[in-house]
Amino acid sequence: MPMYNLYMGCSVPANYPNYEAAVMKVGEALGMEFEYMTDVACCGSPNLRSIDYFGWLVVNGRTLAIAEKNGHDIVTPCNGCFGSLKDVQHHLKHDEKDRSRVNKELKKMGLEFRGTVKVRHVIEALYTDIGIEEIQRKITRPLDGVGISIHYGCHLLRPDDVTEFKPEMLDALVRATGAKVVEYPLWKQCCGATVLPVNEPLAIRLARDKIRSMKEAGAEFATVVCPACGNQLDLQQVGLKDSYGEVYDLPVLLYPQILALALGINEDAIGLRMNRVPADSILPHLKG
Amino acid sequence: MTEAKQIAGPPATLVEPIDMSQLDSNFRDEIRSMPNGEELAACFACSTCTAACPIANQWKYKPHQLIRMILLGMRSEVLNSKEIWECLTCFQCQERCPQKVRITDILFDCKNLAADEGKVPEKILALAKELIDKGQLYVVTADWEREDLGLQPAVPGLSTDGIKQILRETRTGKLAGGGT
Ligand code: SF4
Ligand code: SF4
Repeated sequence: MPMYNLYMGCSVPANYPNYEAAVMKVGEALGMEFEYMTDVACCGSPNLRSIDYFGWLVVNGRTLAIAEKNGHDIVTPCNGCFGSLKDVQHHLKHDEKDRSRVNKELKKMGLEFRGTVKVRHVIEALYTDIGIEEIQRKITRPLDGVGISIHYGCHLLRPDDVTEFKPEMLDALVRATGAKVVEYPLWKQCCGATVLPVNEPLAIRLARDKIRSMKEAGAEFATVVCPACGNQLDLQQVGLKDSYGEVYDLPVLLYPQILALALGINEDAIGLRMNRVPADSILPHLKG
Repeated sequence: MTEAKQIAGPPATLVEPIDMSQLDSNFRDEIRSMPNGEELAACFACSTCTAACPIANQWKYKPHQLIRMILLGMRSEVLNSKEIWECLTCFQCQERCPQKVRITDILFDCKNLAADEGKVPEKILALAKELIDKGQLYVVTADWEREDLGLQPAVPGLSTDGIKQILRETRTGKLAGGGT
C-alpha cells in the first residue's frame, strides 16, 4: 500500500472541505495511505514568491525537509501548493548557493534540505501509482458518457520542466470514470485567480471566458483540481449573473468527487452539496 | 486626385524616443543574476511571448517589450509598471519562448526588486501581513462543515509559528512592519 505525506495547505481545509473529504475517501477506496504532515506551514502562494523569494524558499524548503525525515513522497491536492513546493524543490536542487543559504536557516530548526523526496499532485499519484486499469476495475457506478471539460490549472501544467505533469493524465482519469472529455478552445488558459488581489474585474473576465468556452463546446460539467481554480470557476460563476448578466449553470466538481461517485461513494460523504453551482445533476448520470 | 497629406510632427511609427540618460545599464545584469534570469539576453524579440499572453492586449507594456526594456536598462519603468503585478503567473509566455527565456520567472524577479524598494500593491501587502500575523492565508471558519464530513475541525498538522518566525526575519517582515 503506497504511503504518502499528505500536504493539505490552508485553502483546501478552509474553503473546500468537500475536496479534502473526496481525496480521503478515494484514497481509502484505492488503498492509498495518506498521512497528514505535521508541523508544516502554509506555502505562501505565488504572492509570497513575488515579494520575498528567499522567505518563500525557506518556508517551502522547511516543508520539504520535514517530509525527508520519513522519506515518503509529498502529495497535495492544491495546484498552488504543488507549484510552490515543486518550484522550490527544483530551484534548491539546481542552485547550490541558495541551497546552502536555505540550509543555514533550516539548520537552526534542526532540519536539512537534501532533495530526496518527490513532490506530487494527488492526481498524478492516482494516475501513476494506482493506474487507470486498477481504477476502472474498482468502479461500480460508471458515468454514462456525459461531457466534462477539464481545467487543469496553470501551476499544474507549467513550467513543464518543473511540474513534470502531462495533461493526458487527467484526461485519462476523467475517461476512466465513464465520462467523455469535452475539449474547448481556451483549455490552456488561466482561471485568473492570481490577479484577483490587484485587478478583480480582470480576474472575473478571465473566469467568465473560461466558463463560456467550456459551455459553448458542449460541456455539461467542468472539473478542477485546485481550490483557487474552484473559486474562480465555481464561486465566481454565481456572481456572473450580476457582473455580466449571464447565467451558465455549469456545475464544477473537484475531480476526486467525480471519481468517488463512480466508485460508489455516497454524495454526502464528499460534500457534493457544498459545490456553489448545484452539482447534484451529475447523479442521474451514474449507471448501476 | 488624391493629394499626399502633410503631416505635422513626427511620423506615427516613431514611439516615444528613449532618453539614454535615464537608462540603468546594470539592470540587465541584476536580473541575470537572479533566479532563472540567465537566459534573458537570448531574447531575439520575436514577440511569441506576447502572442501567448492572455492579457497582453490590455497592457501598455507587452511581455516582449518588458524583456526588451530590461535589456535596455529601463529599470524604473519596469519596476513601477502595473504589468509586473498583473501578470497571471500562468507561464504561457515562458512555455512558448523559442529562446528559453524564463519570462514569468523574470517577472517574479522584477516584483522582488520592486518589493525591495517597498513598492507592493496594497492588497498584496495585506496578504504579507496576514502571513506574518496568522501564519496562513486562509483560516477555517466553518468547522462544522468539516465535522459533517468526518474531518478534524482544525487543519490537521498546520503549524503557523514556523512560517511566522521565518518570515519575520526576511523581507516579508520588513514589508509588513515587523508583525505583531
Ligand atoms: S518569446 Fe522569447 S525570444 Fe521571443 S520576444 Fe518573447 S522573450 Fe524574446
Ligand atoms: S505569465 Fe504573465 S506575462 Fe506570461 S503569459 Fe501569463 S500573464 Fe502573460
